[in-house]
Amino acid sequence: MSSSPIPAAVRRAPLYAVLLVGALLSVGPYLLTLNAAFKRPSDLLSTDAWAPAHPATFANFADVWNQYGMSSFLLHTLGVAVIVTAGQVVFSAMAAYALARLEFPGRDWLFWGYIATMMVPQMITLVPLFLMMRDLGLVDTYAGLVLPTLLGTPYGVFLVRQHFMTIPRDLEAAARIDGATTWGILVRIMLPLSRPILATLATITFINTWNNLIWPLIITNSDRTRVITVGIAALQGQHASDLPHIVLAGAAIALLPLIVIFLLFQRHIVRSIALTGLK
Amino acid sequence: MIVNIPAATRPPAADRGHPSAEPPTPTDGERHRRRSRIRTAVEAYVLLAPSLIGFVLFLLVPIVGVVVISLFDWNLMGSPHFVGLANYREMAGDSEVWRAVRNTVYYVVLNIPAQTVLALLLTLAMNRRMRGGKVLRVLFVLPWMAMPVALGIVWNWAFDPQNGVVNQFLSLFGVDGPAWLSSTAWAMPVLASVNIWQYTGYTMLFLLAGLQAIPESLYEAADLDGAGPVTRFFRITLPLLRPSMFFVLVTNTIGSFQMFDTVYVMTQGGPGGSTDTMNFHIYQQAFQLFRTGYASALAMLLFALILLVTAVQVVYFRKRTVYDFS
Repeated sequence: MSSSPIPAAVRRAPLYAVLLVGALLSVGPYLLTLNAAFKRPSDLLSTDAWAPAHPATFANFADVWNQYGMSSFLLHTLGVAVIVTAGQVVFSAMAAYALARLEFPGRDWLFWGYIATMMVPQMITLVPLFLMMRDLGLVDTYAGLVLPTLLGTPYGVFLVRQHFMTIPRDLEAAARIDGATTWGILVRIMLPLSRPILATLATITFINTWNNLIWPLIITNSDRTRVITVGIAALQGQHASDLPHIVLAGAAIALLPLIVIFLLFQRHIVRSIALTGLK
Repeated sequence: MIVNIPAATRPPAADRGHPSAEPPTPTDGERHRRRSRIRTAVEAYVLLAPSLIGFVLFLLVPIVGVVVISLFDWNLMGSPHFVGLANYREMAGDSEVWRAVRNTVYYVVLNIPAQTVLALLLTLAMNRRMRGGKVLRVLFVLPWMAMPVALGIVWNWAFDPQNGVVNQFLSLFGVDGPAWLSSTAWAMPVLASVNIWQYTGYTMLFLLAGLQAIPESLYEAADLDGAGPVTRFFRITLPLLRPSMFFVLVTNTIGSFQMFDTVYVMTQGGPGGSTDTMNFHIYQQAFQLFRTGYASALAMLLFALILLVTAVQVVYFRKRTVYDFS
């Protein structure tokens, strides 16, 4: 490094300033939304967006929760997201182990088949999927909501497989000699060594299911099964102009749980994004 | 200097599609070995079964299905009539379809370059040891997991001509902001800004990993040759970042082509069809107008468009990069 008459801290000040502005822009929409959701309806219209909610009120959250169905939207979303996440992690790990380690006819075909479909846009499958669910009588049911993604996606299988490939084979060979079964090896050796990638897959799946609009929009049509995306989209459509405080409280409730989950798992996820480029 | 991408910058690809040899197990005779091979195959398919059923039933069958349905005139409620390529002929002459194609491409063009350049600048700024670096990284990735539907609501509020934070902020400088989402000129850029906000940090994270895999020795050699920062950026950083760039551009572009949620929540394709994108148009045709066959043909067009653009990107990058595609 060349020595400069200006101290490093001062030279770096503009850089820090730019990064701080960037960070503020990243967090700003979240903070503004939360702030707005705590404002009284009259304050929301009469104060600047950045003026703190004072006095703060919980009434908007209470109203959207009790009167506008948010409690049931959230419950449905949570149920669907937990079931789909559990299914994807288990079934992806099983398939990934077979593809990574077992020799069987058709393996390479299957693997490339999985890869090839990762580029297919989701919209392509929606019409036939809807028709299928309609013929099975699953429109407006939980089964219809979870079924298309419950058994895993090629992406999840690929992600776990790539990780399994990096685990040394010696461990398995030793276990085999000790009489371990394939299932025993998967459960007792591979899975414990893959916790970070499984946590990542679980978080990604949870986020994607939580945020998914189009499939629930198509497959559900009543309050019985309505999830949070469809619910707040409808709220926005009906009440954006007359009840913005309610709609924004709904948006805040939709946004915040994922931040908590992300912060819990961020160490794994940040590293995994960097390594594999997750979407 | 000819630069080859060092192995360290490649994505982790543990295999090249070839499994290494199985550990030698002592067996007595051909028959025993064959039996164990069959057993392994059975075990493999048992493990694969759920995933494979899902793959065939909910992915392969629908993909084949959409091709078949696109050859029918079908009103969802009525019975399907085979019409050959009539849907595709109608599509070719449908000005709304071509407007949707133009809108989608415009959205992608607004998105991808802005997102990539911003992410690259952010990457360069973040590529150093500094206090709070890890915290900053987490903050930059926070937008990535946000629910697009909720963002649509927040952006609608933020870009409200009277009560929105954007125009409130502009008015501090005496600027009279436009009526963003009811303007045919501004609606699409506002939609794009949601996506740019959401994915810049994510893209940065990925580029940062690529950047940190570039060996320091290259920069030291460049220093000895008296290369300045600009030369170093264009001769070392950018070329060696290409594999990461390739990945980020291809996946972000494919994602952008499929935007739906924000249009659905924010504009419903308006004003005057100026934000009617492919995915939204297909959704309307299929699930609001129930033109099942026609919507399937449109979905094929979207797929073709994505394939074409991806192919162009692959060819462009392959010419300039030594990239490990495995």
